[in-house]
Amino acid sequence: MTTTLEHTQQAATEGGGLARKQNFVTALIGGVVFAWLAWFLAHHFLDASSRNYSDLVTTALTFGWMFGFWLGIGALNGPARWLIGADHTRADDLYYAGENQGRARYWKYCTDHKVVGVQYIVMTAVLLGAGGILAMAIRTELIVPGNHFVNQQVYNGFVAVHGMLMILALIVAVAGPWANFVVPIMCGARDMAFPRLNALSLWTLVSAAGLLLSVLAVGSLTMGWVVLAPIADQAGVGMDFFAMAIIVFTVSTTVAGINTICTVMTMRTKGMTLARLPIFVWASMIAAALGLYAFPFFSLVEAQTLLDRTVSTSFFVADGGGTGWLQANLFWLMGHPEVYVILLPAVGALFEIASVMSRKPVFSYRTAIAGMTGLAGLSILVWAHHMFTTGWAPTLGGPFMLTTELISIPTGLFFLVIIGTIWRGNIWMKLPTVWLFGFIFNFIIAGITGIYLSDIPIDNQFHGTVFVTAHFHYVFVGSVLFGALAALCFWYPKVTGRFLDETMGRISFWLVFLGVQVTFLSMFVAGFKGMPRRYSSYSMIFEHANFVSTMGAYMIMSGMLVLLGAVVRSWNHGVPSGPNPWQANSLEWLVPTPPPLENFDVLPVITEDPYNYQEELVRA
Amino acid sequence: MSIDTHNEHDAHGHGGHDGGHHEPPEVVDGRQRMAIWLFISGDAITLSALLFTYLYLRGVNTGGHWMSMVGLPTVGPGGHSYAFYEALDGSTGLPDGHLITQAPLSAGLNWIVSILTLVSGLVVWAGEKGLRATKNTRNFSAVAWVATALVVVTMALSLKQLHSIPAIFVAVNDSHTMSYTAYASTMMVIIGSGLVHLAILAFLGIGLAIRSARGAITGDKWFQARLVRLFWVWVGISAVIGSAVTTTINTIH
Amino acid sequence: MAMTPKKEKLTGMYISIFLLTVLGVVIGVYGPAHLMPRSMSDNMHLSILTIVVFSVAAAPVAAGVYAVCLHALRHWVHRGDSVPAPAASQTREHPLAVTSWVLASTALTVFLLIWGLGALSVDNGGIGRNPLVVDVTGQQWLWTFSYPGTNVQSPTLVLPEGRTVVFHIKALDVTHGFWIANMGVQVDANVGTITEIHTTPTALGTFDVRCTQFCGLNHAFMVTTGNVVSKQQFSQWLASQSMKA
Repeated sequence: MTTTLEHTQQAATEGGGLARKQNFVTALIGGVVFAWLAWFLAHHFLDASSRNYSDLVTTALTFGWMFGFWLGIGALNGPARWLIGADHTRADDLYYAGENQGRARYWKYCTDHKVVGVQYIVMTAVLLGAGGILAMAIRTELIVPGNHFVNQQVYNGFVAVHGMLMILALIVAVAGPWANFVVPIMCGARDMAFPRLNALSLWTLVSAAGLLLSVLAVGSLTMGWVVLAPIADQAGVGMDFFAMAIIVFTVSTTVAGINTICTVMTMRTKGMTLARLPIFVWASMIAAALGLYAFPFFSLVEAQTLLDRTVSTSFFVADGGGTGWLQANLFWLMGHPEVYVILLPAVGALFEIASVMSRKPVFSYRTAIAGMTGLAGLSILVWAHHMFTTGWAPTLGGPFMLTTELISIPTGLFFLVIIGTIWRGNIWMKLPTVWLFGFIFNFIIAGITGIYLSDIPIDNQFHGTVFVTAHFHYVFVGSVLFGALAALCFWYPKVTGRFLDETMGRISFWLVFLGVQVTFLSMFVAGFKGMPRRYSSYSMIFEHANFVSTMGAYMIMSGMLVLLGAVVRSWNHGVPSGPNPWQANSLEWLVPTPPPLENFDVLPVITEDPYNYQEELVRA
Repeated sequence: MSIDTHNEHDAHGHGGHDGGHHEPPEVVDGRQRMAIWLFISGDAITLSALLFTYLYLRGVNTGGHWMSMVGLPTVGPGGHSYAFYEALDGSTGLPDGHLITQAPLSAGLNWIVSILTLVSGLVVWAGEKGLRATKNTRNFSAVAWVATALVVVTMALSLKQLHSIPAIFVAVNDSHTMSYTAYASTMMVIIGSGLVHLAILAFLGIGLAIRSARGAITGDKWFQARLVRLFWVWVGISAVIGSAVTTTINTIH
Repeated sequence: MAMTPKKEKLTGMYISIFLLTVLGVVIGVYGPAHLMPRSMSDNMHLSILTIVVFSVAAAPVAAGVYAVCLHALRHWVHRGDSVPAPAASQTREHPLAVTSWVLASTALTVFLLIWGLGALSVDNGGIGRNPLVVDVTGQQWLWTFSYPGTNVQSPTLVLPEGRTVVFHIKALDVTHGFWIANMGVQVDANVGTITEIHTTPTALGTFDVRCTQFCGLNHAFMVTTGNVVSKQQFSQWLASQSMKA
């Protein structure tokens, strides 16, 4: 803390009343109390003989949870104060930024982008951990044919909840921690454009995650993560929890997306032209814009599912003139862009890492931006390739095959940029670099199998089989998770001031890398042989492939546990790294570690991009 | 990255934390305006998804049930006998007739709601212009109250509209359940989305009125009024677009 | 830092590209065909052929990227614990490389597209004059096949060899996925709508019909078998079933 803060310190700790006492615990209390209150009222005033009774009561309960949680954490203080014209004072702002609150601020509605970044790291870890436990349960069930470990009902719930938890975890895995922690500093800003909205996006995510994690406890959700209609109507009240969690999650991502774009477009310091932005900033911004396009479809489709269940509308009910194809269309209008919302920040981080670790500029910066923009643009035109075999509009098969295959051109540019960047580099083989090479290996496999699936005659064979599962796990685990872990290893020293333990990191890399190959290559084998997805049991011809796949999954789990151990251990006991361990030139490395509140004493003036590695310019 | 920290560019010197908070209001306004436009873009996507739902379900007209439940089997699985009745105006008793083909909802009410929404937006716009010209915050506060009152009236009409959506009662043996046709379902979600927007507008309107009266919005710092107005007028426009689609394209000939 | 990058021999990398391409082609040609179920229809032949063609086309790309990575790991890695010096080459742009990469990937994509659209039109091609129509009904968790014009309803699917079959598919409760694993055809069974696919069985023998769209509790067990028989046997089977009914 700099001395200039002292005169505000007193003001920051005075007054404020109840609002100063709010934290995660009051949020939980508020959520539970209001959930109970809503349940109680709904229980008493609704007609218990209605077939929608349980869904209506559950929906009321989820509304109560959300409202109470937001009230308890303090998310509603800002709007309420705006309403009555009592705006935040400077002291209030500093209080909410967590000034002089030590570790307590990590449990609060804190507006400091670095605190939010760390909160996102924890949130991602929780989601990945819960989803990972379910993944292990799924693979354990599939180790031999027949239902031995859990029954089919439970298994089906595991599949759905695993899918959705992991999707949410990966949506926030890079954009959450790093678009918050480093992007504002990279731009030369003191914080995000809208710090309070930043806290809002984090805590709405937490409230949604609370619902999603409870799904298994309230009767599960047994229809796969895409919650296909009309089978969603058959699910228990877990479906209502799920739908509400998604609607709130879309609020979170929309708010976060607007915040990221405004930060990059309006908060850049003097001289930081768009052409001098670190490439990761571009990736974050393009992904945010794409999310802004995609997620309204998601909230609408879940709202419609909820209405079908609570007030007997007929969006997806054929008897009332609805159709499951509507659900599929809306879901995939969101679903495909969402894949790139997940992928782009990871790729952007890897561009950054490839450059810093090879001691060379990002190869063809413009090509990288063009590739990412092209991918984002094309991704909104390809949704129906998820529906080639639904029977919906067969005449559109050709056009959608065309747009889908065109995607391989911008994706190919990513390889060009990474290969061009490491070409004749002076490559520093540290943890981030190791994950980078793992990413390249996996992303090739993901890409090629994606080309198979984009072709309708092949898709007619593979659709709905574990071949598809293996393909998108190479995308999400093999590529995105590797990118996210590279980013974690890369920026970890900036958060903690310490390196992530190199030995444990290497062990975890090899376990996860080999585990991914074993798990998902054998899943490809099962897919080639013709095993459909979401099977709780299977015939003997798929036996060996599944057994091997399960062994691989345990390897991945061991690797991730080692990594978790390294993250926890190195946080306080790692090798000190200093402010700029990788000798990089982008702004986040030129501020102290950990970066002070509001990042810069004096805002820097930028005269060139961060990729000039000529020795005399590199700062110690 | 080459940076020059010795440059005396930062007017706030070494005040450190004050830097971000002494930005001129125009800068803050520009940033918030961008956020509003992005939010409006996202909202426009929601509107197009709603209209896509509407047009898609009308287009496929599954089993001819867009506006009708005629033709459904009267004997279902397990030997249950089904009968279908239209319940008008949300009445809960079983009506006598077997009217299971519904008519489009009142186009007049639909247009009144959307025009009123748009008018309230224009009122705020006029008020904001007045605020800029005369710097009279009391007048602006009054205008905001008027616009809010308009919105509240619109919400009441919108609720009436929601209430007029006929449910189809399905009598299964002795008990009955209810259901909505695809047309009724899509209208319900379109009107419902309108109501959510109107509720946001009411919140914003009350905020403008109170803030203006308390001096939080002044003649010199009129930007917040414009930010709210941008969103308000957009909601009006989106309501008109919704009416234009749902009142012209509804029945299937 | 004014040292000029010394020209490094890349022969090893080219050899790796060649060897990896050969490896990729071998895997692509033999792998899928070896693993996939026995082909019993023209559609399945086409699916397998397309997979082989795409694998062969993709092999050089994968080989190129992997070979560069291997080369980088062998020759371009900085040794020692110190911070590496800036790379000798600080290339930011290489228009020739970018242009040729874009052209090559576009050419490859266009090839895949043309092949794919061609295969698609063959797949969708003429039904012929005298197709056999089979009505398929999916419900939780069984399939029923009926043969219009007869009163035959069967839980297993019997098809004649060499005659085009048109499936009219619907579902009673939720969406199911109708897939004949040996024939490379699949389409969803939807509630309220009838979907259609067709194929021509080309080999005698049994096959599996599996559900590919998640349909609830017993999704994994919504499997039935089918049999392709000669035309004569098919007529006999149809007659015997109709007698039973």
